[in-house]
Amino acid sequence: MNKNIVVIGGGVAGMAAAGKLREFGYEVTLIEKEKELGGNVKNWYKVFPDFTDAAEIINKLKGELKGIRVINNATVTQINGVAPNFEVITSTGEKIDAASILVATGFKPFNAALKEEYGYGIYNNSITSIELDAMLKQHQVQTASGKPPQKIAMIHCVGSRDQQVNNNYCSRVCCTNTVKVAIEIKEQIPDCEIYCLYMDIRVFGRGYEELYRTSQEKFGVQFIRGRLSEAGEKTDGSLLLRLEDTLTAKPMRLTVDMLVLMVGMVGNTELAEIADLKVGCDRFYTTAHEQYSNNNSEKKGIFLAGTATGPKAIMESITDGRSAAAEIAAFLHSFTLENMSCDLSFRQPFASMIAGGNQFCNTPPQPSPY
Amino acid sequence: MGKLFDELKKDILYQHGMNACLNCGVCTAVCPAAEFNDYSPREVMNTVQSECDEDIKELLKSDKIWYCGQCFSCKTRCPRGNSAASVILALRRLSIRHGYFAESEKGRQQLFAKRVFGQNMLDRGYTLLAKNISPAHFPELGENWEYYYEHMEEMRQWWDVPMDLENSPGSHRQIPEQDLDEIRAIYQKTGAIALMEAVEKAMEKKLGSKAEVEKYWQTWLETGDSRNYELKGENKS
Repeated sequence: MNKNIVVIGGGVAGMAAAGKLREFGYEVTLIEKEKELGGNVKNWYKVFPDFTDAAEIINKLKGELKGIRVINNATVTQINGVAPNFEVITSTGEKIDAASILVATGFKPFNAALKEEYGYGIYNNSITSIELDAMLKQHQVQTASGKPPQKIAMIHCVGSRDQQVNNNYCSRVCCTNTVKVAIEIKEQIPDCEIYCLYMDIRVFGRGYEELYRTSQEKFGVQFIRGRLSEAGEKTDGSLLLRLEDTLTAKPMRLTVDMLVLMVGMVGNTELAEIADLKVGCDRFYTTAHEQYSNNNSEKKGIFLAGTATGPKAIMESITDGRSAAAEIAAFLHSFTLENMSCDLSFRQPFASMIAGGNQFCNTPPQPSPY
Repeated sequence: MGKLFDELKKDILYQHGMNACLNCGVCTAVCPAAEFNDYSPREVMNTVQSECDEDIKELLKSDKIWYCGQCFSCKTRCPRGNSAASVILALRRLSIRHGYFAESEKGRQQLFAKRVFGQNMLDRGYTLLAKNISPAHFPELGENWEYYYEHMEEMRQWWDVPMDLENSPGSHRQIPEQDLDEIRAIYQKTGAIALMEAVEKAMEKKLGSKAEVEKYWQTWLETGDSRNYELKGENKS
């Protein structure tokens, strides 16, 4: 058995896992489809709740990759064999032996143009949260005509919790991200009025609620409970919004200079066929068990981490990557123990777990052939 | 929970139109009727969702369920896939079955709907005939309509869609009696006839007599506005 592990996806989850596996003494090959590591996070400015610079996170995780082979600009096109003797073939034509594989291929941002009523791609001043973040990074938040906006509306749940686009799940990070960018706008343009249009505020993590409260108390960010029905463009390029303030039960109109669509996460299932992974009805990868095997896929030796298995915040993705590293280490350790012919009875619960001891797995528990 | 709600729940339009509502207000924000009237589809959904018979009864007796224009804009926007317009239809049927519609001014207009659209369907297989649209009731249609209204028969000859010709194209064709019988059978079977009868019955009860219902009908025919009929005594509302 070789001791190489292939990690697919060089975002925060993949990097965190790779770094930890290296620390455990494994050889690791990290495959990234883009030319730079860092996934979606490398594009961000500062992250909630503490305004850590995203670059700091990327640099920290990159610093843990010493001795790891990184293949950039490559995707995985084929996976042959079974654990612990996989063969991974890349789009660059390389064949890599792997004892185990970690899929950490992350998410794709929701395509805001699918919500046509919000005017993304139609009206110049309807932008996504990703574009706003880039503007904040440049300290150049401005309308299409180059002026600093005086009034901004932020729309929660764009592509999330919405049966109309078949995304019934909550993307989890958009609410807190809205609060974060609202504060940043206020810091850069103090007299700008900000209205956040929400269905429910879901700021659930440590320090998130405090951030929400700060945005109201210290920065005067306004929150209106109502979902945007549609936006229309006025002749001056500003946007007329129709919504209901459901707490006062009043249909209202709001004119803003800029509309920011807080886009949710969409599952990235590019490897579903190649790695023989199951996909849930939310179109994220299915784990072997939602509660206690959430880094295992149903395929023995192939593990999952990060937003590949559903929306997660950055900190959660990093933790999930390291958790996957521990699972992989334990999985490979079991083969080593077997080769040493020692008493294996203590690891039976784990063996039966990965071999299918739960309701989602079709493979009956079998003794390991190795 | 109560009898009214249980009855509502049996309506297929309710079953299709109502998943749990999260009160986001997207329906009210997009609703053309809510813009001009004291009406909010979100509030209707919320009342129904409460399953409270008292509140539902109040709703069935109010003008609110009659403002919806059945454009279904709410359905296209709802993040939960609800259709307030469908729930409204189910509420209207319930209101008619129990006679509650007669308690509101907008509800009482069901009499005209029944006697015009309903009767047209049974007699002609069409909801609205050109003859129904009198210039006195629709002054906004202007002189052209007035001319057409007076020369309808002649003009339709020019266009080769004559009045009352069997199976000719156009809304004024005569549908063969045999086919009309089929329509009537469908209306009977689906309960539409029963609803029409319920309208007449509840109006009679509300206004006191058949003669008063005719007076109400005549007021509308003559003035185009049922508010010109004054409710008497205890019936005032």
